[in-house]
Amino acid sequence: MAGLKIPKMKHMSMKKLESYIKTEKVYIPFISSNDIDITPIIKKGDYVYKGQILGRRKGNFTTPIFSSVSGTVLDFTEVSHQSGKKVNAVIIENDFKEKLEEKYELRKNIEKMDKDEYIKIIEDCGIVGMGGAGFPTFMKYKTDKKIKTLLVNAVECEPYITTDYTILMEKCEDILETIDDILCINDIDEAIIAIKETNRELIEKVDRYLGTYLKIRIEEVPNKYPMGWERTLIKQVKKVDYDKLPIEKGIIVNNVSTIYAINQALKYNKPIIERIVTFTGEGIKKPQNILLKVGTKIDDVIKNTNGLKKDVTLVANGPMMGHKTDLDLVVTPDLNCVLVLQNKKVVRTQECLRCGKCANFCPANLCPVLIKDSVDNKEKLKNLHPEKCVSCGLCSYVCPSKIDVRDYVNRAKETLKGGK
Amino acid sequence: MGTFIKSEDNTSKMMFRVVIALIPIIIFSFYKNGVLPYINGSVSLYGMIKPLIFIAVATLSTFLFETIYQLIFNKNKKLKSIISNSYAYMPGLFLGLILPINTPISVLIVGAFCASIIGKMLFGGFGKNIFNPALIGRLFIISTYALVITENGGYLNGYEVDTISGATPLSNVSLITGIGTYKQLVAPFGSLWDFFIGTIPGAVGETSSLFCLVAFIYLTATKTIKWRIPTMYILTVFLMTLGIGLYNGVGIWYPLFQVLSGGLMFGAVFMATDPVTSPTTTEGQYIYGLSLGLLTVILRYLTPYPEGVLTSILTMNMLVFIIDSLGVKIKFNKKIMLIPSIILLILISVMTFTIGETKNVKEVKGDPNFEIIDKELDGYVTTYIVTEQGYSSKLKLEIKIEKDKVLSIEVLEGNDSFFSKVMDANYLETLKENQSNLDDCDTVSGATISSRALKKALINTLADYRGE
Repeated sequence: MAGLKIPKMKHMSMKKLESYIKTEKVYIPFISSNDIDITPIIKKGDYVYKGQILGRRKGNFTTPIFSSVSGTVLDFTEVSHQSGKKVNAVIIENDFKEKLEEKYELRKNIEKMDKDEYIKIIEDCGIVGMGGAGFPTFMKYKTDKKIKTLLVNAVECEPYITTDYTILMEKCEDILETIDDILCINDIDEAIIAIKETNRELIEKVDRYLGTYLKIRIEEVPNKYPMGWERTLIKQVKKVDYDKLPIEKGIIVNNVSTIYAINQALKYNKPIIERIVTFTGEGIKKPQNILLKVGTKIDDVIKNTNGLKKDVTLVANGPMMGHKTDLDLVVTPDLNCVLVLQNKKVVRTQECLRCGKCANFCPANLCPVLIKDSVDNKEKLKNLHPEKCVSCGLCSYVCPSKIDVRDYVNRAKETLKGGK
Repeated sequence: MGTFIKSEDNTSKMMFRVVIALIPIIIFSFYKNGVLPYINGSVSLYGMIKPLIFIAVATLSTFLFETIYQLIFNKNKKLKSIISNSYAYMPGLFLGLILPINTPISVLIVGAFCASIIGKMLFGGFGKNIFNPALIGRLFIISTYALVITENGGYLNGYEVDTISGATPLSNVSLITGIGTYKQLVAPFGSLWDFFIGTIPGAVGETSSLFCLVAFIYLTATKTIKWRIPTMYILTVFLMTLGIGLYNGVGIWYPLFQVLSGGLMFGAVFMATDPVTSPTTTEGQYIYGLSLGLLTVILRYLTPYPEGVLTSILTMNMLVFIIDSLGVKIKFNKKIMLIPSIILLILISVMTFTIGETKNVKEVKGDPNFEIIDKELDGYVTTYIVTEQGYSSKLKLEIKIEKDKVLSIEVLEGNDSFFSKVMDANYLETLKENQSNLDDCDTVSGATISSRALKKALINTLADYRGE
């Protein structure tokens, strides 16, 4: 099995969840599943309610953009997104009244809901994968195939991040309840919660609550990176490979934070307007998990907590797959973590010595060194399949010559897409 | 964008671990080629430390040659970082370990030049060379200065010259008709235990299989080398020689003898795993190791060169890019491996069988180089005029036999380069004295091929006389 044990670095942020930090302004970015082609349906000066739709994505996946506060639309601006891009955002001045368009009503008898209704709700509430990919969740359930297994991903294989850990620790009961509801509604045979075997505390906690849910079980997975990647996880838990999507084998994978978002949507019709973000790293004075509204600027959060040390680098999401960012970063449903690393001496790269470690550890079973060799040669690349790369970054991590191998693979992807 | 955390390991640390793994081998070499002869009184104090000087000179030479090369041809100012990142000492260190101790220091430096400049720098430096630089150095030396080294004492160190007659275990193999017996192959050098520990003749650092094994375990545990290559390599040689041995009815000692002899262990662990010149795909590494094993066995049995490891590795170095592209194909489609693997298995079986078969035939009957030109019977005395292939030319002999007894042997023609050595050793007399037991009659060290030719001619003539 490919994959590698890498340092966990999770202890520093494993604390009790901090609640909201209320900020004067929120900056709701107009981006959904990395698509920035979103039409705003509000204008400057409008009053918006909490949970009101601000814009819709064009095309098939009409994931709406919601306001996370009530208040007045001040202006449009540009903010940093976790993907490293600059995106348009709408500034809303928070009136701290938390006014809703319609009051949330507690929905009962959720398990008796039919499948179409369920899909409608999670689509309308804009539920997207909260593990980092931001893929619309309703698309996974919109299938004619029989769903056999719901795989709940609580592996969180990237170092430093503890949001899945925190939400499962804090909201264990709600999450198990929702998993059971999803099983009933979609007529799924079983649910498996995948947790790293080293995470004893969490496994014991979930195990205590499991008693009455006969269809749900915990699967302990090895402490390896990238165990949280769908393909690796399914291979580990179910011992099967699939071609394009897990549904081919009757499997749906949902992140545990996504399950909680589904919980809120089913119970209260509440869209994703808040999420837990891990603030951690050697460069931050007080590492912790904070529940934040979507659109909260990281700068405001850091001012409100203890602040940063000198000479640091900010990273959106984990150290393996994350992107360099700045204090303009705002919270989005797919932001797990703000990692603040102390700047180290720049490591000199050396000539590739062709040790083959990148090929040895690649979870997608590619040979990154050969892709690097023919990065501009489209014909040769066709046989090397760089498009199968998931950018997990393990090749760059293991490279003893400190070459940024993933960057070459990304370039190869572009070469393959482009013309001659 | 790179990852924000990186593994602790780096290239310098990996290279350092390879050097660490070589230290026991260097110490053992010092003991075997320096201390032992010194205690025995066969060398002076300089002779005792010569192995260390030898390795040090080689290491320093490649380092200096590369530095000079960079000084001349590299316009880049960051010379210091280039040299510290290019591991210029490595080819020399290896070269010092794979040459015979009797290589003159001057020749060694020429070899180091070839290793460093031709083997490495002309290809573009570290990470770009196709061939293993140290092996390029050795190839140059043994193809150009073999005579000089042989005259200097060949592979035997001061201690072994006194205790062992003949040559290295593998060159001994080529002197024996048929597959050989334990008494012929192993016994002259002690037991298989001596082969394992390394107290047998051979290159400076190649003999100790024990320390190569220790190095292999250390380097594999620390994820430094491509462990699949040596594993497949040794396994293939072992299984093929086991097959050849079984075909000829010899025991398990035979494949062990083949695996522990010569530079196989050292070559498999250190030379075949050279990261720059070996495949990067894991699938390719299996194929590479297997092909090396197959090639080494073929070379050892079917060519006059008994060693085979150097040639195998250099040959396979050339094919690395093909093996890698095959490796990638296998990664994405396991099924395409079916036909090549069947072909490879058939090839290995056929080779094992064929070699076993050729070794089974008594060489007496099938010696193509032996020819009887004239046979005359005069009373009880039969006079034969025969020819046999020597080292570089044909030898013509006159042999007189009376009543199954060799009366005289006379060399009519023979301008072999080594021939004077044979005559000096009075080898013809030795043969005459040992005529009843020629198979066990030792050859002349330093002129093995010429003396073997004489022996073979005599054996063949006697066979003809006896009507065999």
